[in-house]
Amino acid sequence: MIKVEGLEVSYGQTRALWNVSIDVERGEAVAVVGSNGAGKTTLLNAIAGMATPQKGQIFYDGRPLAGLSSHRIVRQGIAYVPAERELFPQMTVLENLELGAYFNPQGKSSLLKFMFTLFPRLEERKRQLAGTLSGGEQQMLAIARGLMSRPKVLLLDEPSTGLAPLLVLEMYRQFHQLREDGLTILVAEQQVPTALSFADRAYVLENGWVRLSGKSKDLLDDPMVQRTYLGVA
Amino acid sequence: MIPLLVDGVVLGLQFALLAVGLTLIYGLGGILNLAHGHFAVIAGIVTALLISAGVTVPLAALLGILSAGLFALLIDRTLMLPAYRYKGENRLLLGLMLTLGLSLMVTGLLNFRFPQTALSLRLPVVSVEIFGVTVRTASIIVASMSLLAILSLLTFLRRTTLGKAVRSVVQNETGAKLCGIDPKRIRTLIFVLGGLMAGLAGVAQGLFSSVGTELGMELTILALIVATVGGVRSINGTLAAGILLGVVNAFASFYIGAYLTSIILLVIAALTILVRPEGLLGHLA
Repeated sequence: MIKVEGLEVSYGQTRALWNVSIDVERGEAVAVVGSNGAGKTTLLNAIAGMATPQKGQIFYDGRPLAGLSSHRIVRQGIAYVPAERELFPQMTVLENLELGAYFNPQGKSSLLKFMFTLFPRLEERKRQLAGTLSGGEQQMLAIARGLMSRPKVLLLDEPSTGLAPLLVLEMYRQFHQLREDGLTILVAEQQVPTALSFADRAYVLENGWVRLSGKSKDLLDDPMVQRTYLGVA
Repeated sequence: MIPLLVDGVVLGLQFALLAVGLTLIYGLGGILNLAHGHFAVIAGIVTALLISAGVTVPLAALLGILSAGLFALLIDRTLMLPAYRYKGENRLLLGLMLTLGLSLMVTGLLNFRFPQTALSLRLPVVSVEIFGVTVRTASIIVASMSLLAILSLLTFLRRTTLGKAVRSVVQNETGAKLCGIDPKRIRTLIFVLGGLMAGLAGVAQGLFSSVGTELGMELTILALIVATVGGVRSINGTLAAGILLGVVNAFASFYIGAYLTSIILLVIAALTILVRPEGLLGHLA
């Protein structure tokens, strides 16, 4: 469904991604793991149209995406929830959600109801300004806003950052649910165990290179992964 | 006392009308439009020309206002393009230079082509009495038109999806793009709306006194002061600041004199930045 081939992205003199190729099949959950600065965010930014690749191709259902700006890519069915969340702080929770369905407003109210069953906290706070929410609530709102565009693919960057462990667990349960409903998910995570127990497959990024890739359960058994990311001696 | 207050409020609504476009364009596009007053002047001049060509006053005024909107559209799609290519400070500075150049060019052209043209409708000075206060009819027309325009704008921004999209771009352009909103189109829309509002302010000015070719920069400065006091990104703040400064203006020019009035307004703007940099009401639309 998403195919990235030989992607290279630089910020000025600094190269963030070197010849990165990844694949995400329809209905799959794929994780991109690695430490801070490995290039995970850059990869998602490039797919979402927020970073311009110098080289390489990105295909979505066989069509090239590179060069499209981010507001067009959402309209194709790829929703992106960046780590910074990028909410509208001076608007209510409800307004933030409504804007998520900006270009596709049919069935908005039933979709809203679905979001509120997914994240009941958002319903309790729907008249509150987004800027006054806690970190966890903001993360839920960002995810729900992304889902309001009825995406086929959901890109998530570090969804667990800054959240209490229990909340992370709860959130990943919802991701599971969304997958069951047919959503394709590509998630970048620093919390490698969490990501690997959720995703079918994963790519390990190091200094902008794909170091390893494979089925999550194989990676969990990989000595290098255990040593570097799982803290197994 | 009270007639002065009424004059001040009416003037203040015009101020707000003029400044609201400046505020929106700055908040959205990061461009401080130094040719903003010229949108008003163009509307005034076009209206005056049409009236002298025999067009009825309301139609001429409408066409004048539309011409300001059209001019804004043209500028957004041509002159501003280089500025939009940059971000942050670079965009602001390039925008300042481009719009300053535009303002000089418009003033020059208008002076050259229409040196004698000034819009002065001089409506028959009929006054009516409301609650014991004598008010000029022109004041009533201008006040209600300004109020209607500003309230429509506020309703548009608060209630409609497109209006919310405008506010979303002001608050977080990246977030807006992630929702599928095209900031470029929103910017064009607001540039045009700002031009129309300024155009209305220009025609309104013509109802009271006159709009000549030389007024552009003066109106821009006025709009800048109002926008600053209102907190350059807040619509409600702009409205409040407009009315406040209008009243100050009316009293100051009655008791002190026109020359010092401009200085007083500037001092208020400077003090606002020192004491409440976020403006009268603080924060965004």
